[in-house]
Amino acid sequence: MTKDLRECRLEDLPGPKSKQELDEMRMPYEDYCKAVFAPGHEMSKPEALKGIRWLSTTMYIFTPHSVANLAELGAEVIKVEMPRMGDPMKHTSPFNEAYLYPLHDTRPMTGTGYGFTSANVNEYYLSMDYHLPEMKEAFYRLIKMSDGLTECYRPGTFDRWKQSYRFVQELNPRFIYVWGGGFGYGPKCFGGSYDILGQAHAGLASVTGMHEFMGGHCTKHSNWCIDWYSGTQITFGILAALHWRAKTGLGTMIEFSQVQAATRVLGHAAPMYGRFGIVRQRWGNWDTQLCVHGIILCGKSDFPDAINPQDKFEARYAMVSAFQDKDFKALCDVIKKPDMYSKYMKHKDRVEGEAQVDIYAELEDWAKDKSRAEVVRILQSEGLLCEPVMNDREVYESEHYRTRGTVRWMEDPLFGDVLVQGTYSAGLMSQTPRRQYWIWRPVGADNVKIYHEMLGYPISTVKEWYDKAWI
Amino acid sequence: MAEKRNIEINSRADTMDLMNPDIRPWPVTPPPDAEWVMANTYAKRKAEDFGKWSEDNLRYEYSFGKPEALQGFRFLCVGQWRLANKFCAALLCEAGAEVINIEPPEGDPLRQLTPFGREEYMLADKFTGEKCGLDFLHEMRGQKSVTLNLETEEGRAIYQTLAGQMDGIIDEMPPGYMDSLGLGYRQLNKLFPRLVYLNMAVRGTWGPYKDKVSKYGQWTLEPFGGCANSFVHNTGFPQDQLPRGKGGDPTRSGVWFADYVAGEQGANTILAALYWRNVLGGTGQFCEVTGAETQMDILDFDIAWYGFNGSIKARTGAWDPNLNQYEWNPCRDGYMMIGGQTDRLWYRIGMCIERDFPQFGRLIHEDPILKEMGARNALAMLIKTYTVTTRWLRDINRIEAEQKLMEYEIAAGPIMYIDEVAEFPQFKYRPWVCTIDTDHYGTVLFSVSPNNYQMRTPHRVKVLGRPLGFDTYEILQKFCGVGQTKVNELKEKGAI
Amino acid sequence: MCDIIWCKKTQADGKPCETVNYLDPYCFWNWKGNINCAHCGTVYAIHMIQGHMYKGPDEQPAGTKPDTSPLYADKPLEGYINYPSGMEGRTRPFHCLPRHIYLGVPDMVKFSIRGKPLRGWRPQPKSAGIAGQFPYNWEMEKLSPEVAAEYKEKIAKGEVKEW
Ligand SMILES: [Zn+2]
Ligand SMILES: [Zn+2]
Repeated sequence: MTKDLRECRLEDLPGPKSKQELDEMRMPYEDYCKAVFAPGHEMSKPEALKGIRWLSTTMYIFTPHSVANLAELGAEVIKVEMPRMGDPMKHTSPFNEAYLYPLHDTRPMTGTGYGFTSANVNEYYLSMDYHLPEMKEAFYRLIKMSDGLTECYRPGTFDRWKQSYRFVQELNPRFIYVWGGGFGYGPKCFGGSYDILGQAHAGLASVTGMHEFMGGHCTKHSNWCIDWYSGTQITFGILAALHWRAKTGLGTMIEFSQVQAATRVLGHAAPMYGRFGIVRQRWGNWDTQLCVHGIILCGKSDFPDAINPQDKFEARYAMVSAFQDKDFKALCDVIKKPDMYSKYMKHKDRVEGEAQVDIYAELEDWAKDKSRAEVVRILQSEGLLCEPVMNDREVYESEHYRTRGTVRWMEDPLFGDVLVQGTYSAGLMSQTPRRQYWIWRPVGADNVKIYHEMLGYPISTVKEWYDKAWI
Repeated sequence: MAEKRNIEINSRADTMDLMNPDIRPWPVTPPPDAEWVMANTYAKRKAEDFGKWSEDNLRYEYSFGKPEALQGFRFLCVGQWRLANKFCAALLCEAGAEVINIEPPEGDPLRQLTPFGREEYMLADKFTGEKCGLDFLHEMRGQKSVTLNLETEEGRAIYQTLAGQMDGIIDEMPPGYMDSLGLGYRQLNKLFPRLVYLNMAVRGTWGPYKDKVSKYGQWTLEPFGGCANSFVHNTGFPQDQLPRGKGGDPTRSGVWFADYVAGEQGANTILAALYWRNVLGGTGQFCEVTGAETQMDILDFDIAWYGFNGSIKARTGAWDPNLNQYEWNPCRDGYMMIGGQTDRLWYRIGMCIERDFPQFGRLIHEDPILKEMGARNALAMLIKTYTVTTRWLRDINRIEAEQKLMEYEIAAGPIMYIDEVAEFPQFKYRPWVCTIDTDHYGTVLFSVSPNNYQMRTPHRVKVLGRPLGFDTYEILQKFCGVGQTKVNELKEKGAI
Repeated sequence: MCDIIWCKKTQADGKPCETVNYLDPYCFWNWKGNINCAHCGTVYAIHMIQGHMYKGPDEQPAGTKPDTSPLYADKPLEGYINYPSGMEGRTRPFHCLPRHIYLGVPDMVKFSIRGKPLRGWRPQPKSAGIAGQFPYNWEMEKLSPEVAAEYKEKIAKGEVKEW
């Protein structure tokens, strides 16, 4: 504000303050979004978590992803792996087909499998056999120079090695310590866990897949989605703890059960059981609470002559959504079943189980001589919501993700031309966007950088440790 | 202890109330106590000190006496129909933030949703009798409900006043809607440059494949997100295992899973933006997360693999194409999940099965192809291994299979349904589901926040969803200086 | 699933067939019909309920048409020689695959699908420095000159694309 209140300055008024800002206000909304998010220009902006340093003594997907989120947001992350071996996930690849080399000079025939993708981006790769007493001092130096750590060993293991939170809080009271695993304290504390166990054990599988009367079985979500999703929720715990620490200077310990996180997504399952004893079941490709809102099988594939079987046989499914009265009426008209509308005029009537069986059968009957593209085109031309079920190629070719920068190519410094589906897709930010520098690095690739440059050990010591396979 | 009653059952309606937690409290059988766990779990591993430390510092029960990490942060949430904004707001609330949820005067339509349209599965407000769907109630946890009609000038003015006092806004209205009202990021940012503004959408609020609204005004909802990122295409049983149209099809998640993934990344995005703003001296900013994209971030390597050699991920049912064993298969009373792929675990699984079923050793362990870890993942080897494994499983129940595999320390577990989850000893010990005695809806069983087990600032749930507009008077008085007389007037006019 | 059919049908040489036909779990958990032995073609009628062989396997007269075939079969007594999926008249094909070919072994890839170099082949020449240290560039011209040369050719031929 100016001293003299009679003077009115442009910058004190609400609203645009320059020609540029005025233009900004007049832009169509979409152009504005594209301009402020500016996909492809992430590196010209600051990082949200600059200055945070995190240790990752993690394996597989769940706990690594809790840290990858931080690394994408600009934290400096040191991934600690077992010498010569690395994270077991590095040895995982779909159908044993897709690997990038090298893993390490000592193992010329071993690569890093695509299973490792997206879970540990941007990190520095250190190797250390940290349960050796000889390496304890180096490990403690890392603790003292970092803001936090995520680990995934069986409960009590780090405690036995004198590097659990009980010990490290003495070294660094600001330290934020995360244990992520299957179950956490309690009777099944030492039970091992995987993504698929979370899906099975926590109830998610019991509500996914076609019902028995449809011929189906409990179905696994593709991918290790519960691992990833649970890891992201740890990130939320870490970020909240960082805010608390900014206020109080105190660290904390977070114990996170991956299996429990799968129960968290079950929505009304728990309250419905608790109040009424009703056990939520699976309902296939339809929706228990909305109708029409489901995926239907069309008669013909969109690409019958394609070579790839996924295009050739599978491009046959479309998602149709017309649950509101007017939409449903229009849908019934398109498929020439106006009587179906009179029968199920109220949403309450058409969302009933038997009604859904009836309605989807009529829809698939209508679609049985049409290709997926025809079904989508006809319904869309009537102003209804209908979209194809897309495969990986179609996602890759979608202009949408290219425009938004959420699927893009990147030249990795060591491995070359890779297609990136993560990081940018985890959320757009106008001022401090996520970014990816490299996909991963070989085991111990940054040993000199960390042991020598950061922790100050002489090169002769680093070499000695390496020769003894301690690092 | 509940008293014993004599009840005559003539129809299902007579049984409904018998499950009410006042009559049949959860849990039905009590969990093991701390001494039992000390003696039977920690002591067996010689981890008594560690076990005691964990229980003393991380226990759920102690969380309510500890501070909240996000105390002092304040957010506004505007959106309908979807769970992404609700879950995002729920996470912030659980960590201690204050979130005000703006609903239209007729309420978020999500309040009306109930499985198969069954009104009897909705909960009635004790005072007004008004019913609310369980998804809404469960996911609106911690948030306050204020009604505002943003189509009116008064409604918009109140919204803007509220916005000025927030750290962040979660906007899940259709593409460009808030912007068209003059209440989007680009307008609010000029007034409140420290505001963190988050858009949430299914595919996006901008771009060639952004969210659509039907000709008749219907919104794009999940699973459209999963259909647009290949998740649905990649999930389900192949037609080689089950006939197409009868289970052998691409399959959606049973829940609106992409909404949950978007919700948590939305909350992370907000906290990261606020960290930069508060700790590193930054400003507010504009953010957007979508279900389709945040779920694409977690689709393993699927799209990257296409860039490698043109592979298009195919669905593989209940089997994982990267690992052996790592699957579930049917057993006598359901499905049993078994996992273990390193040689050490692989042979332990085999030894366990061989004890009951000697042929397993002959067919599996002695096959030279199956001796090599990488080669075990070939499709033919999955077929062989799982056929013989299921030959063992068909004769035993889930609990028997679990006990047998546990003896060999294998990560294995049955597929459980929510009633079994709610009574599983580990889950009720921590607990993973728990009850809240609520002011409006009686005792409600809910899923506990997995971030609830922390030493200093555990996240926690104290209240679940509230009746429509429950907090309108308080919020308008406190943030806008609008008193009750004026509120009533605005209600009359349809602005609130 | 549920089961295997260990075919003991006497062959022309007087010895039993000794082929194990694997009836994969989901397909056969509840199933009724005729299925052939992958080795000798003998057709068996089976009726499976909840993974149990309710009836069968009952050998059918020669010439009976099978409704389906196993996805996989092998011969444990003959060094586990096997019949993988998709052998005409023996095993049924597996259609739901990521590509038209199925490798099951590492695919040696030198270029991404848009034609730019990608380090997807082995072995790679040693290139680590002190204690396993790696730099932040690949040095393709030095380490893999043949790939660098091939890349130049690809550029010249217009085989390198942006997408
Ligand atoms: Zn990610
Ligand atoms: Zn035979």
